[in-house]
Amino acid sequence: MITGLGAISASGLNIPAFWDAMKAGHTAIKPLKPAVNDIKISVAAQLPDFVPESYFTHDELTLLDRYSQLAVIAASEAINDAGISNNEKILTNTAIIVGSGCCAKHTDEETCVKLFKQQRSRVHPLTIPKGMPSAAANMVSMHLGTKGPAFVISSACASGAHAIIQGASMVQSGLVDIAVAGASDAPFTYGLLKSWDALRVVSNDTCRPFCKDRSGMVLGEGAGMLVLESEDHAAKRGARIYAELAGSGMTSDATHITRPDITGISKAMNLALNHANLHSTEIDYINAHGTGTELNDIIETRAIHQVFGDHASKLIVSSTKSMHGHALGAASALEIIATTLAIYNGIVPPTANFTVADEQCDLDYIPNKAREQGISIAMSNSFAFGGLNAVIALKKYS
Amino acid sequence: MILEKVAEIIVETVHCNAEDIKAETELESLGIDSLGAITLIFELEEAFGIEIPNEVIPSIKTVNDIIEKLEVAGQ
Repeated sequence: MITGLGAISASGLNIPAFWDAMKAGHTAIKPLKPAVNDIKISVAAQLPDFVPESYFTHDELTLLDRYSQLAVIAASEAINDAGISNNEKILTNTAIIVGSGCCAKHTDEETCVKLFKQQRSRVHPLTIPKGMPSAAANMVSMHLGTKGPAFVISSACASGAHAIIQGASMVQSGLVDIAVAGASDAPFTYGLLKSWDALRVVSNDTCRPFCKDRSGMVLGEGAGMLVLESEDHAAKRGARIYAELAGSGMTSDATHITRPDITGISKAMNLALNHANLHSTEIDYINAHGTGTELNDIIETRAIHQVFGDHASKLIVSSTKSMHGHALGAASALEIIATTLAIYNGIVPPTANFTVADEQCDLDYIPNKAREQGISIAMSNSFAFGGLNAVIALKKYS
Repeated sequence: MILEKVAEIIVETVHCNAEDIKAETELESLGIDSLGAITLIFELEEAFGIEIPNEVIPSIKTVNDIIEKLEVAGQ
């Protein structure tokens, strides 16, 4: 069961702001700040008015890479929302699983600049604890006071989905009472921007998934964290249940490092249906991976046809990346949160910036305007570079 | 003179009160743990342009110990 939510993203610094933006179909994609002369990327989904000092003390910040900051903020909101903050008994057996595509890149790059550009001979003594890939899990556990297992999972753009599936499995197997799982990514560093530039998949306009005139993905940053616990555990403490995590499917394409493979992603969707004991005709909504790249959008649409057959025409499908941007690993967690809130509130977020659909993209993509529609069962797709696919099925709790 | 400069760096690094810093003050009483001490020594090395050898670090317990090591390292 999902009993707590936390999010910080370009679409707002907390869950209420995030959900308002999703409902309004408001895109957070804006000109990149600060603009960098030798980088072609000119638009991005960046945190609005984020001041780390208003969340953390100076001493705390010496140990917090930006990706750790975002993870701590989202996880704190999630446990407050679930009503378990300061509950020592519960937090003792709570796991922290943070997904991240690029982990502590800010610290890595600052260190490289000092050594290789400024030719300094020394680096700050806290560089290792601040910059280690597991830093976000350590920092979340220390800030929240959780004492169960804590670790980071990295599977590029599916990191959040993999982390949430791992958390749910740990709860289901009885390893822990509660898992706080999700993902965090802060990719706006000079080196990463240059690297994304080199890959030539980033739009300089905006993110228009499934549209004829789409021009690529738009990078975002943020974190999304969920509180997961069993139905019994939630019932015993009288917790509000947003939705049930009904099942999941994970596959690897084992084909190409960047091109998605229809067999691998169709299989992941089918596995999620089987794991949740659902028939394909029971799905109402799919929160698509929907990056806004030609390679993804066409293959994902074909895969949905392959899995759902005639029911594909009855599905509603949207890509919320058109609003919160592609926050890499964190995007998958933000999308699972958007899907959870869609089920809980009976409002389905749209695909923003929608113009005219690509001829090869022929589903109902909920153009521009959220749809007030009660949905019982939904899916969230996450397909990462390397052909790492993770699909989660969510069910309305009743 | 050197005490004043050291005290200034201690305040900037660990955010304690300047008036709590005397030559005989123990670093632990300022809330400086082992990781804090390494950070402080790094900042002092940067400010004074010297290097304090690793082997003398365990013997640094007070503000005065810092000043002594800085003087030795600066010679």
